[in-house]
Parts: sequence; structure tokens; C-alpha cells
Amino acid sequence: MSLLSALSISASGMSAQRARTELLVQNLANSDTTRTPEGGPYRRKDVVFTTDPSAGAQFSSMFDSAMGNNGMGVKVAGVVTDPREPEKRYEPGHPDADQDGYVLIPRMNPAEDMVDLMSASRSFQANVSAVSAVKDMIQKSLDLFRS
Amino acid sequence: MGIMFQGVAANFEQYMTLLSARQKLVASNLANADTPGYRTEDIDFHAEFEHAMSGQKPTVIEPDGLEVKPDGNNVSLDREARLLSENTMRFAVASNLARSELSSLKAAIQEGK
Repeated sequence: MSLLSALSISASGMSAQRARTELLVQNLANSDTTRTPEGGPYRRKDVVFTTDPSAGAQFSSMFDSAMGNNGMGVKVAGVVTDPREPEKRYEPGHPDADQDGYVLIPRMNPAEDMVDLMSASRSFQANVSAVSAVKDMIQKSLDLFRS
Repeated sequence: MGIMFQGVAANFEQYMTLLSARQKLVASNLANADTPGYRTEDIDFHAEFEHAMSGQKPTVIEPDGLEVKPDGNNVSLDREARLLSENTMRFAVASNLARSELSSLKAAIQEGK
């Protein structure tokens, strides 16, 4: 049924936006982290989204997409690390300072992350509205049995 | 449905199926609002309704006149939100009409009791 696969498409959108939010929050939390397991300061991370024709992976929706009646879900294709060089700050007393007294600090712009966070939260809400609209339609169909 | 659900009521069935297909595309557009390069998908509702009456599958088109963002995505949240509620309302109308059709059928079966 088309409406049930619409629900799984919205669910894929919600989980993708949640993954994005997790990374953004991680970025904000680590904006002053100078040590990581990989060595060096923390580097900003972000997600890349891609369309996912198999969202929901129900037989009927696979069948629909094979019939050309497609609707696409979304999935996280990967996590990219910010390639920008970390900032150098002169702080000779810092335990992670090099011999010249410079500490490598993550190159972080809180405004950038806050704006992305707002956008992720709006997109999440859009998916939630889609779920409730579709749920409403399914309920209306079920009500036909109760006449 | 065949014999029981004839005439106008059979059209409701097509109409609701088509609305479901459209709602699925709207959900898909909303889910991909942040996917680079994704293009909005829609169906030409009125033309497809004519086709659906003759039992054809709807074809997906890309609507014109949408602004393309720098990442190649052209999903407009406002447009999708409007379609989302429009589809829900149309569906409610169709299902209520279908329900009244069913209840008159039931009344006929029960000899008007």
C-alpha cells in the first residue's frame, strides 16, 4: 500500500535528520577539544545525504519501485570531516602546546553549527507533519469499515 | 469491489489511490529536503486522474518553476506543506463520500432498517 511506504519514507527522513543533529551537537560539544584518539585537535564533522530507493524495504514498496512508481527515502551516505586546518593559538602554558607555545584548536564557527541545527530541526518537523498527515489518511480509510 | 462498489464509488477508489501515490511523493520530497542534487517529484493530478480511470499507472514528473538551491536541490518546504494538507483534505472528502455510498448500500441490504 502506497500510504504505508510513505510512512517509511518519512521515517527515513527523520532518522537521517537525527543522525545529522547528533553530529552537530558533537561538534558544538567538542569546540575546544585539543586531544582526540586519532591525534590532534577535534575536527568538525558533517553528514552527506543521498536518496534511498529501498527505504522501508517492504515488498510492496520494492514492487512499486520496480513498476516505476517510485518515491525515494533518504539515507546518510557518509560522514565528512572538515578539511580546514585547525586554528593555532599562542598558549605556552597549555599541556598540548608545541615547542613554540602554539596549541592547535578546532576551527569551529558556532554560528554555522547553530544554523545547521535549526535547519535539521525544521526538516525533522516537516517529516513529522508528513507522518501525521499520512496517518490521518490511513485512519480515514480504516473508518470506511465502520460505516 | 466490482459489483458492490459501482459508478461514482469506484471513482472514489481511483481518486484515493492516486492521492496516496501523490502523498508518497510529497513525503519523499520532504525527506530529501536536504539531499544535494535531489529534484522535486510530483504527478500531474488532473491528467493522471483521467488516466487512472482507464487503469493506467501514474507517471512521475518534475514540476516547473521551483528555485534550485546551490547544492542542486529544489525542494520547497512551503509547496510540500501545502500539498500535504491539500491531499489529506481531498482524501477526507473522498472517504466520507465513499462511506455514505457504502451506508446507503447497507441500508438497501437491510431493507431500509
